[in-house]
Amino acid sequence: MKIIIGEGSCGIAAGAAKVHAAISALINDSDSFSIGSTGCIGMCFLEPIVEIRNNGKVLRRLVKVTEKDAPNICKSVRENNFSLVDYLTIKPEDEEFLTKQTRIALRHCGIVDPESIEDYINIDGYQALKKVLKTMSPEQVIEQVKISGLAGRGGAGFPTWFKWNAARQSQGKNKYLICNADEGDPGAFMDRAVIESDPHSLIEGMLIGAYAIGAKKMIVYVRAEYPLAIKHLEKAIEQAKANNYLGENILGTSFSCDMLIKAGAGAFVCGEETALIESLEGKRGMPRLKPPFPAQKGYLDSPSNINNVETFANISWIINNGGEAFAAMGTENSKGTKVFALTGKVVKGGLVEIPMGKTLREVIFDIGGGIKGGKKFKAVQMGGPSGGCIPESLLDTIIDYKALGATGAIMGSGGMVVMDETTCMVGMAKFFLDFTASESCGKCVHCRIGTKRLQEILTRIVNGEGRDGDIELLEELCYAIKDGALCGLGQTAPNPVLTTIKYFRDEYEEHIKNKKCPAGECAALIKYSILPDKCKGCTLCAKKCPVKAIDGQVKLPHVIDVKKCIKCGLCYSICRFGAIIKE
Amino acid sequence: MEMIKFIIDGKEITCNKGETILNAALQNGIDIPNLCYNCNLKVYGACGLCLVEAEGVPKLLRACSALASDGMVVSTKTDRVVKARQTALELIMSDHSGDCKGPCSLNCPAGTDVQGYIKQIALGNDKAAVEIIKEKIPIPASIGRVCPHPCEKNCRRSLVEEPLSIAYLKAFAADNDLKSGDTYIPSTKPSTGKKVAVIGGGPAGLAAAYRLRLNGHGVTVFDAMPEMGGMLRYGIPEYRLPKKVLDSEIRLISGIGVEFKNNCKIGKDITLDIIRNDYDAVIVAIGAWKSSSVRCKGEELDGVLGGIDFLREVNCGNIPDIGENVAVVGGGNTAMDACRTAVRCGAENVYVIYRRTRAEAPAEDIEIEEAIEEGVQFKFLTNPAEIIGENGKVKTIKLQVMKLGEPDASGRRSPVPVEGEFEYLNVDTVISAIGQYCDINGFEDLQTSPKGTILADKFTGKTNLSGVFACGDVTNKGPSIAIEAIAEGNTAAVSADNFLSGKADITFDPYYSEKNVTADMYEEIPKQSRAKMPVRSPVERKSSFDEVILSFTDEQARKEASRCLECGCHDFKDCRLIKYASSQEIHPECVSGCVHQSFNETKLSSIERDQGKCILCNQCVRICREDVDKGVIGLVGRGFKTVIKPEFNTQDTIGFCKNCGKCVEACPTGALKFV
Repeated sequence: MKIIIGEGSCGIAAGAAKVHAAISALINDSDSFSIGSTGCIGMCFLEPIVEIRNNGKVLRRLVKVTEKDAPNICKSVRENNFSLVDYLTIKPEDEEFLTKQTRIALRHCGIVDPESIEDYINIDGYQALKKVLKTMSPEQVIEQVKISGLAGRGGAGFPTWFKWNAARQSQGKNKYLICNADEGDPGAFMDRAVIESDPHSLIEGMLIGAYAIGAKKMIVYVRAEYPLAIKHLEKAIEQAKANNYLGENILGTSFSCDMLIKAGAGAFVCGEETALIESLEGKRGMPRLKPPFPAQKGYLDSPSNINNVETFANISWIINNGGEAFAAMGTENSKGTKVFALTGKVVKGGLVEIPMGKTLREVIFDIGGGIKGGKKFKAVQMGGPSGGCIPESLLDTIIDYKALGATGAIMGSGGMVVMDETTCMVGMAKFFLDFTASESCGKCVHCRIGTKRLQEILTRIVNGEGRDGDIELLEELCYAIKDGALCGLGQTAPNPVLTTIKYFRDEYEEHIKNKKCPAGECAALIKYSILPDKCKGCTLCAKKCPVKAIDGQVKLPHVIDVKKCIKCGLCYSICRFGAIIKE
Repeated sequence: MEMIKFIIDGKEITCNKGETILNAALQNGIDIPNLCYNCNLKVYGACGLCLVEAEGVPKLLRACSALASDGMVVSTKTDRVVKARQTALELIMSDHSGDCKGPCSLNCPAGTDVQGYIKQIALGNDKAAVEIIKEKIPIPASIGRVCPHPCEKNCRRSLVEEPLSIAYLKAFAADNDLKSGDTYIPSTKPSTGKKVAVIGGGPAGLAAAYRLRLNGHGVTVFDAMPEMGGMLRYGIPEYRLPKKVLDSEIRLISGIGVEFKNNCKIGKDITLDIIRNDYDAVIVAIGAWKSSSVRCKGEELDGVLGGIDFLREVNCGNIPDIGENVAVVGGGNTAMDACRTAVRCGAENVYVIYRRTRAEAPAEDIEIEEAIEEGVQFKFLTNPAEIIGENGKVKTIKLQVMKLGEPDASGRRSPVPVEGEFEYLNVDTVISAIGQYCDINGFEDLQTSPKGTILADKFTGKTNLSGVFACGDVTNKGPSIAIEAIAEGNTAAVSADNFLSGKADITFDPYYSEKNVTADMYEEIPKQSRAKMPVRSPVERKSSFDEVILSFTDEQARKEASRCLECGCHDFKDCRLIKYASSQEIHPECVSGCVHQSFNETKLSSIERDQGKCILCNQCVRICREDVDKGVIGLVGRGFKTVIKPEFNTQDTIGFCKNCGKCVEACPTGALKFV
């Protein structure tokens, strides 16, 4: 038997490493079981997660484990008495979070040990590469990818085969295959999970791509904020080299290919492929004009092909199972599965991979378990800062490039941030514009100054200083920026503003005309006060107030000094008598 | 090389395959606005000005990078393109901190290039100065004497100590030019064969006539009075503007071929219809020659005169018998001209009756000051209640005592009567200088305002009649200062010229960037007080119509001119940003927000960068890297905070700069300069 700890970054952040150490310390030489790691199991809301496995079969999945649970876990395994850990065992309804998914890109995540190439090989790893190198021509590979209907999972959704084919056709001695692992959308973390949890899948997918386009060099551009991913990938590359999956004459064929990692310095725009190339070349990360496209003139002016991590993670599955099997899932124009990073006010957050064609409602309510704290669903932000929000009335929209695009949002890289009735939509738009305005590379006028102006207007609206005509001005500027910005960052930056105006215009008007925030979130527009008849004088609020804005004697009604109040809402959330109201 | 054909704005052009739309357009003489493009550098695509629309392409294309293809149909002027360019310009300008033109020039109704001519005066080049002035003002020696100089009100030097003496410097240069024996004579363009009639030979009419004549049109000025000059001749007293100065300037105008027809009154000697028939265009600039009455009981009495009527008589040499005691009603410059003229006509006691206080009086302070020096007695806070006569002739004026009440719409505190308080002055003459109005007899076909002025378009001077333009005191809001009349004369001339040559008018106010300044920004400038114009003594003045001011000495003038802070951008004439920004209507104030403050970046040897004017076109960075192969400077920071600084934001790279100046040359704005 084995005790396996989910030790992706998310698990570690929740305390998985401490759990690992605690269990490890309790294992004796006489014990017949060992301890091991896997990557991200995908249920952020239950981390840290520990599995008791026998011959790869999960006997028990334990959730929200702490160091204190280590003795019980060891004892239960030692004695083969799992009732000891019943209290930690995942509930059947939570198990559904995984069972309702169809995992292709994430198929090995949380199963294999990311630091073990043997684990990967044992589950048919590198079989697809063998098949490709020994039995298929590059054209046949591209054909399979074409049949699969796989589209770029990084956000743009461009057909993968088309890019591969363009790069294949392009004349040039030194071609490059580049993996974009600069996952920058706030709220998206599927790429990190794949690299951390299943690095060999990425290497295998990339090798197949390199073979298809005729590249001898592969580069993974990964953000430096992902140290664990880099560590696992570096180790995987070493292992792959040692096993002749990388390097000269791979698997005894004439195909040779090298791989290196380049850590990005954290600029969001470097996720834009031409900016990424500039950055790879050691220049400031700023987008280039297209044409020429990277397939013609990319890295070091050579033909280059860039795909995202999740895209590559699907490749070996497609080769092993055939393009048709992939294309059998999904809708008419969106094939296969897509991974979403489900976060926000949802009960169960984590990575969700489902076939295209499911509705947003299914993802958020069936898999995600609906809204936390019994609150009302308000909107879901799809596609991060480049995406848009989708309101309740459109929850039955299917997950499909076209259908999502029609709402004003985008599929994007798969960020899915759920918001409830307490989220201010103007504030939400401002949050994303704060992000894009500061992440603009500063090159083109429309993005550099335009997004700044959008952000300034949104700021004045949430501060209660909005002016008549601001909504129209926002819309006008948004369309101008979409038309005039140089790259995807600028062209899509207005989407959060446009969609919130489209679906929540009344909320903007309320801020501007009546200086009210209907969601009660904008600090400048809300006021906390104490209802004297409900206040019991328990003094809790006065004690907790960080700025000593609440005064009163024991057992007598308290009062908030509005001049001192910083509207943090702490008193409101801790009052046990409902005596504090927010207006 | 394979050639392709495609269409831009309806014109078919041919170019090499692989050429960008912008390059192909430029090669064929079609200007697509651009700021970051440089044919010697790699395409960059930042400014967003070169956006064009191509048929069948849903997105706008950047002409600098999009390749022309055979059969392509490109438009550079569709509404969508113009709007996109407008937004780009508005965004750039919303983050542009600098003065395109000096505040002096912006406050001059005629937009005279003050900084330009002051510089020439400082250098001792009076003729060159006059050449600059005459781009806007054909009679600078006269205007320099009489102009209430709005330019000086805006002069930034007042943040240091006092404004420059701009108007007198103008008169100084113009006087020198007239005396020089080598007077500046502008060259006229070849004859167009078109004829323009200008009705009214005052400042507005003369300005229009001058400009139209320079453009090659035949110009005739009709005027009802015996000589040209209008109010400058018949309204302004000799002691302020000697007739011989005005004469010599008018002579120069006739010298370039403008024909003068005096003693010719429309409606009496000739009709507007006949003139319209005989001429290709008509400019109406007849001024406002009627004096408003004093509007109180007794105004019909003998001895009650209109201010401008009085001044006209004196200017014609007919000094009326005004007696010993004269009351002048009003607080404006005409009142000052009237009271000071009355002194010179021999009146013993001259009173000025004004219903507010000195602080509210619209007259120039120096005029009030000099009037007091000449013995004029000011009765502030009084208003005529009645003019009491004897035998049909003025004897006494009854004055209602006033006090200041609440501020009115103009912000000035309005005078209210103090119930029951009156004063009495025994006077022989009452001169009413409270306003003028227009006499439009003979121009009945022109649409008028309720005020009785002719309605003329603000941007073109166009009236309701085709080919008839109007300007000066007779239009819209009525009488104003001479320089405003000249400005309107210029506008009408430009528009008439457009009308005659079939060109389009500009019907918006061009945008100019202005810098926000505070006095502390000027703390390091050494103080140097304003040159004082020497004047005749009050005693001498009272009995003579000789000019009050004497003249700056040469040394005084050069020193005064060198006080100029040169606020306007050194690159204004070559700036491509302002060229595009002023060629279409833009409103950067709609997208106003945070602005990069104008300050001078650490010098690169001898090159200085004004961050407030830098538009991040990156040409300097690119030329330094791609052409000079140095890479001295680079972009630093992200988003809105991005700036160009020495590469890697370290001073270490500065040492590589070899002062080749290619960056300065490439800069499309005035952000870079040699120091």
